[in-house]
Amino acid sequence: MNKTNDLLSKEKVVQSVVIADTFTDEFIPISNDIPHALLSMLNKPLIDYTLEFLSLGGIEEVFLFCSNRSELIKQHIDKCIAKGEGWSLTMKVHIIVSESCQSFGDCLRDLDAKGLLRSDFVLLEPGVLSNVPLLTLLEKHRDIMKLDKYATMTIVLQESGVGHRGRGSEDLVLAADSQNRILFYNKSTKNRSKKIEFPLEMFLENPSLSILHNVRDTRIAICSASVLPLFSDNFDFQTKDDLIRGLLMDEEILEGTIYAHVLRGNQFGGAVASWGTYRSLSQELMQKWIHPLNQPRQKNRILKNNTVIGACSKVSNTAKLSSSVLGLNLLIGNNVIVEDSFVFSDVKLEDNVIIKRSIIGPGCIIKTDCTLTGCVLGQDTVLEKSTCIENGLLQSSTPDNESFEKLSNKAYKLLEDDDSNKSHRLFVSDDEEDDDEEGFSESEDELSYTQSPVPDDTKLFFTEVIDSLTRGFDDNLVCENLILEINSSRYAYNVTLKEVNFNVVRAILLISLREPIGVQYFSHLSRLLSYFAPVLKNYLRNESAMLDSLQAIEDVVSSGENIKEKWVIAVLQHMYNKDYLAEEVILDWFRNLENSGDLYKRVKPFADWLEEAEEASSDEDDDEGSD
Amino acid sequence: MQDMENLSDVSHLVNEIKHKKLYNSLDIALKTEELLEKLISHDQWKSARELMKLVKSRIKFIRKDLPTETTATSIMRHILKIIREEYESAAKKKGEGQSLHQLVTANSSDILDYSENLGSLRSSILDHLGEYKVEIESSSDNIAAQASEHIHTDEMIMTVGKSNTVEKFLKTAAKDRNFKVVVVEGAPFYYGHSMAASLAKSNIQTIVIPDSAVFAMMSRVNKVIISTHTVLANGGLRAASGIHSVALAAKQFSVPVVVLSHMYKFTPLYVVSNNHEAFNICASPADVIPPSAGKILNDIDVYNPIFDYVPPELVTLFISHQGGNAPSYVYRLLSELYHQDDYDV
Repeated sequence: MNKTNDLLSKEKVVQSVVIADTFTDEFIPISNDIPHALLSMLNKPLIDYTLEFLSLGGIEEVFLFCSNRSELIKQHIDKCIAKGEGWSLTMKVHIIVSESCQSFGDCLRDLDAKGLLRSDFVLLEPGVLSNVPLLTLLEKHRDIMKLDKYATMTIVLQESGVGHRGRGSEDLVLAADSQNRILFYNKSTKNRSKKIEFPLEMFLENPSLSILHNVRDTRIAICSASVLPLFSDNFDFQTKDDLIRGLLMDEEILEGTIYAHVLRGNQFGGAVASWGTYRSLSQELMQKWIHPLNQPRQKNRILKNNTVIGACSKVSNTAKLSSSVLGLNLLIGNNVIVEDSFVFSDVKLEDNVIIKRSIIGPGCIIKTDCTLTGCVLGQDTVLEKSTCIENGLLQSSTPDNESFEKLSNKAYKLLEDDDSNKSHRLFVSDDEEDDDEEGFSESEDELSYTQSPVPDDTKLFFTEVIDSLTRGFDDNLVCENLILEINSSRYAYNVTLKEVNFNVVRAILLISLREPIGVQYFSHLSRLLSYFAPVLKNYLRNESAMLDSLQAIEDVVSSGENIKEKWVIAVLQHMYNKDYLAEEVILDWFRNLENSGDLYKRVKPFADWLEEAEEASSDEDDDEGSD
Repeated sequence: MQDMENLSDVSHLVNEIKHKKLYNSLDIALKTEELLEKLISHDQWKSARELMKLVKSRIKFIRKDLPTETTATSIMRHILKIIREEYESAAKKKGEGQSLHQLVTANSSDILDYSENLGSLRSSILDHLGEYKVEIESSSDNIAAQASEHIHTDEMIMTVGKSNTVEKFLKTAAKDRNFKVVVVEGAPFYYGHSMAASLAKSNIQTIVIPDSAVFAMMSRVNKVIISTHTVLANGGLRAASGIHSVALAAKQFSVPVVVLSHMYKFTPLYVVSNNHEAFNICASPADVIPPSAGKILNDIDVYNPIFDYVPPELVTLFISHQGGNAPSYVYRLLSELYHQDDYDV
């Protein structure tokens, strides 16, 4: 007790804010009945881990911000305090209920209005599990604030190598200077773009900086008191990421800096934000990464094959369980197979049920011979005999919206909107295949980076050319005028002749590709090419220009547009016949092609034919046809 | 509810141990003793039986929450024994003076039920506790005082990791002896490094070696002196991981293994227990392989146990503040320390 008093007199009480809701639909349909904070991980609600972590970290006062089903959370917290859980002795927990809050930002605005927080505090997003000593982090943040009075936030990051499952679907890239001040922050989730652009000033202004990619966000942040007003002033900030992005973009206006702290040694942190991170964190918890946070020893039994089962469960001898977490009071029948799954409490699995990569909510009953792969079942779902479902979300009550399919009285399958990425939601589509694919494409990307970084002017020139040509073709303008236009753009954008050749041919080819592919296509193509004949003739004057145009063809083919197989040959044929391309140039170019490439295979018949040096042009069509 | 309220003191203690505010076994021991002293002097207990029940509920609480914590429970067990002794002597004093006849027959006939309300009990227990506290506080000095009997000039001593008791022992010996110390660093925590630094500061010739070099080094070592977390009922040790291999190497070269142990480290527990998880703790694997390792972590399980079990046949001698004892004598020490009925609470 003395200690608390000392702290009180010396400085203010150490406060923390926990936002209990994710405000996303990641955990539907489980989250319909169970608030995120009470989601059980290894048979203990997430919030218990979070609170234990806070009390271990030295926090004395917690504001728990709930909006969805707050009464359940309140009950749970009251029960814990009555039971005398460890954290309840050293920490005060206040529950703040605000049903009107629709986002993380709203919660912070509400907190600002309430004026409960006066000094630095620890801000946790939902589902944080960690063993970080928070007091030392707060101390560090205060030191930073002494040097930089605009320091608003220190975000805590966990090292996590590329390819580690715990990274989840988020990809974080950030750059920090030697003081760990964040200069650049990019978090991409669903639509992983493979390119990231760093602002050049970042490198010019800082003598040294580090770019971090092997980290993940623990969703723990040490905040100065100025964070809350920032949220209040900017109504469009919905998440922490919005705030970070906003501060980085409008540095002059908002006046706030953000710092990063990367955890080292045996300090560990993570947050449950999706089923993917749920799975990896429960594994990390099992493997003691978050020591001293631990699974409830009294409730759980550890079986072989990485499986944990709760107390009072009855499992048949013939059941096969592997890499799964099973809840309390289960009934598991004969020949049941459970793999890579999470089964919550009070579930009944009858004989011959097969469950793979699925999440079964509490109280579900799954009757004989059912097979579930990659499914998420909400609370109390009942599946009739011999149901087979793959990659579905099921719940027991009728969903509000219309897109559902009724399987039985207590099982409704939610149909997803097309735009929400299913594989992203279910943790199921696993990394292995995914990763291999990525590794491959990544290396490809690197190649293309080194080949030709296209300067912006050329890009603009190219769009200009495309515009001129389409307009010319549509309005039937005289080609000489088009050449004039192209030439003037060339000087405007200061583009080399080589690039002009390349881009003009590329533009013509791309315009041709806009036409619908059908029987008429090739005739249309030849019409287009003959229309632009004066243009082509004007630019393709020597061998190097021809080579440029061939490269353009190559570029168009490799750009992955929807291209008919015969397209390359048709184009080459046409250009050869009209003497835009010389035979030797084509053959030279062909020899330099990669032997295994698609293009090589496509061009080969044509090259062979050229080599044979047949002259009869009347036979060409037949030749082509028979090839 | 009433029960819960009463246990808040012990859950504070458990929390402090969990939060690593109390780390040292001596600190834990003193804190536990203070806790019980407070309980005995302030709580409204009427008879020794009620008091024993209060203490026992605390032992149970600790065993449930911190199954590997033995210091606190040992202190409580010993205090239970003190309560019993004081009650017995108080009860005897009340009646007639003891005759030899009574002493022989008493145990079998009238079993004490500790329910009598004896006025003087509280003060006599507190007196006894005061003595016990002094004993705990002076324990490491008393152990260190025996140093010169065990360490001789020009000897080479091996120790593992860091222990305050061993440190004091070696430093005391260094006052009038000249010897070398080999410190095994104790991966992956490397407490040995700070131990070596501290020894070197007091002008002891110190060599740090990696754990893998223990066997190679052992042939030149005269004595292994270590500390332990717990001494089990059979004389085996629960000690820092890595000590088992050191003890095996010592056996191979017939090097004596001396274990320094406070009395509160002796427990009536055996390694073959139905709750195996209570024996060992696994720390975070991050010390073994960093989380930045990436993909490989998806496919492997990493274990980082904190303790080793060392069987009694590998231990030559225990040194407590009362002097040296062989492992085979541990059972006798236990019966002196704790009452038979309190072995399993």
